[in-house]
Amino acid sequence: MAWSYFASPATFYRLAGRMAPWFFALAAALALAGLYVAFIVAPTDAQQGEVYRVIFIHVPAAWMSMFIYFVMACYCAVALSFNTRLAAMMARALAPTGAMFTFVALWTGAFWGRPTWGTYWAWDARMTSELVLLFLYFGFIALANAFEDPRRGDRAAALLALIGVVNLPIIYFSVKWWNTLHQGSSVSFKGTSMHVAMLWGMLLMAFAAWMYAIGAALVRVRTIILERERRTQWVRTLVEAGT
Amino acid sequence: MSHGFFIWMSYGAAALAVAVEIAGLLVRRSRALARIEEERELETQD
Repeated sequence: MAWSYFASPATFYRLAGRMAPWFFALAAALALAGLYVAFIVAPTDAQQGEVYRVIFIHVPAAWMSMFIYFVMACYCAVALSFNTRLAAMMARALAPTGAMFTFVALWTGAFWGRPTWGTYWAWDARMTSELVLLFLYFGFIALANAFEDPRRGDRAAALLALIGVVNLPIIYFSVKWWNTLHQGSSVSFKGTSMHVAMLWGMLLMAFAAWMYAIGAALVRVRTIILERERRTQWVRTLVEAGT
Repeated sequence: MSHGFFIWMSYGAAALAVAVEIAGLLVRRSRALARIEEERELETQD
């Protein structure tokens, strides 16, 4: 079977419909396990006390905000290179979820910063570049919807997404390149300085966020397919059948 | 302020953001389906 078979909106619509509930179920199960580890198993932090537990929502949200943008940019590159409709639709479907995770990362960061740093916000490199990421998501969504012809909106937004990729290494390396109020990474490919229960709690919540993001993107892309293909026979037949 | 306030403001906002997104997904889908139905009915009338 050719890979292009799944690039057909009609095929992908049905496939996404079958897959989305499984991703949501997995996200719920992982989130429950993650919250159990976060609030019951993980010990109190010696320096920060209980407030460090914000880490279990803040770090996964921050990781997802960057990862979703990267995946979105990859879809944009595919859409621009091969002129595939589904790739552009997937990029559009990912953007609101990415923006939501970026907002959650900024919000939880503020509520973690106040008791530990003494301030909700500082214009340091990590926080500012994460805020720029939120504006990039908003810009992508606004630009994609600014044209009457959705294909023109796809192309314009894809260009913005590809230019914005430069912000990702800036976010990631900001704590190394500049003197920031924000702490350095607790987890890297070389290892971690965290307690094992804290690490597991964070990883479980990160996987939960990942599964949720896939589920949400699949549900949204199905709606985008319906909106774009509403005049085609297969959509009419589908709606008549009530599926 | 106690640490509980900062923890629950974080988790509460995250839960609210997810709830709003899911509600948005459902509303958008029902609007898309309603639009298709409307267009179908208009075509039938023509």
